Amino acid sequence: MVSENAVIVFGRRGCCMSHVVKRLLLGLGVNPAVYEVEEKDEEGVARELEAIGGGGDNNKVQFPAVFIGGKLFGGLDRIMATHISGELVPILKQAGALWL
Amino acid sequence: MNSPSTQFVSSRRMGVYDPIQQINMWGDSLKSNVNLSASIPLIDEADIKFDSQSEDASHGILGTNIKYDQEASKPVDKIQRRLAQNREAARKSRLRKKAYVQQLESSRLKLMQLEQELERARQQGMYVAGGLDTNHLGFAGPINSGITAFEMEYGHWVEKQNSQILELRNALNSHIGDLELRILVDDMMNHYTEIFRMKSAAAKADVFYVMSGMWKTTAERFFLWIGGFRPSELLKVLLPLIEPLTEQQRLDVCNLGQSCQQAEDALSQGMEKLQQTLADSIAAGQLMEGSYIPQMATAIEKLEALVSFVNQADHLRKETLQQMSRILTIRQAARCLLALGEYFQRLRALSSLWSNRPREPA
Repeated sequence: MVSENAVIVFGRRGCCMSHVVKRLLLGLGVNPAVYEVEEKDEEGVARELEAIGGGGDNNKVQFPAVFIGGKLFGGLDRIMATHISGELVPILKQAGALWL
Repeated sequence: MNSPSTQFVSSRRMGVYDPIQQINMWGDSLKSNVNLSASIPLIDEADIKFDSQSEDASHGILGTNIKYDQEASKPVDKIQRRLAQNREAARKSRLRKKAYVQQLESSRLKLMQLEQELERARQQGMYVAGGLDTNHLGFAGPINSGITAFEMEYGHWVEKQNSQILELRNALNSHIGDLELRILVDDMMNHYTEIFRMKSAAAKADVFYVMSGMWKTTAERFFLWIGGFRPSELLKVLLPLIEPLTEQQRLDVCNLGQSCQQAEDALSQGMEKLQQTLADSIAAGQLMEGSYIPQMATAIEKLEALVSFVNQADHLRKETLQQMSRILTIRQAARCLLALGEYFQRLRALSSLWSNRPREPA
């Protein structure tokens, strides 16, 4: 699933922070895939995602977690920071999540 | 039958006027109709004496002739009436005394509580910073040490901010070199980082306090968005003040403004969702059930998400400031920070003026 989608958001079901991530991406013109994690599955899913990882040393997965181009990108913090610095959009374009 | 004299003696022996003991004894006495209050006994003792005397008198007299009887019954009537009046007076006195003592007790408790709170506040050095006007009194609930610490720190933070602004203004007017200016700019940037750190700690202590901007002045609170200022708004205010800009800079600032707006919108939508889920979890089950413990548990979990929102909003503010410092030259950044600082100073001044303005008489 991670490799199939240019952008995928893993978030707890009903979590408002996941909602923020989704709205932000949607606002940019990205149509992210979304996987809602049940509370009981959280641990297991986090483990799996860490294994896929590829996001660098800091591999600990916290929800909401965003994968871009098959790699773990980070949480809301990183999304915000890179968006403000203007780096997010080029990354998304490169991953094929955004055209134009 | 209880012997009134011995019980009376024992209360005397206690010596100390102990209201709770007295109330208990009164409770007993009301049952046995023997009064042990220090001020009453004489009458009651006298009552009882009279009672027995009048009984004896009537017993003794009944046997003899009627004439003697009639004469004797007049004082007996009077005596009976007097006894009844005494009993009534005694009863009323007891009730008054009881009410008075109860009042004393509750006042005593209240005084103890107030003294405790005062001591606590004194220990934590409760500091009413310049930003806290009378609205602060609306902050109900037990004293929160995390918040009192924050308020104290915030007072210092504002003082330091004011002196930094002054320093920056003098520096820009005096044409100092870029290197020295950079130091001042970095200082101010670090100072902002500091307030965000303080707010994060305060949010853990009481997120509603931070969300409502309780430490800010009234005019500042007017612009409140998730516990602070709205970055895109500030950018709009500051942009004309930092001209001249290169074309690239203008473009970058414009893009920054747009990114801010988008991030703010996403956060606002998240907040709306949180409000909705909170409302749903509180109303879950049937309203009018009368019992709502399970709803409270879910609701409390939801409220904890508020802390994340405050943190994310502050994160956005911090990142915006950082990006501005990247786009601008040192001199432009200095002017920008000066303008930002002055803007807040003016807002605070406005709040002050507003609260001190002469009101029309009612």
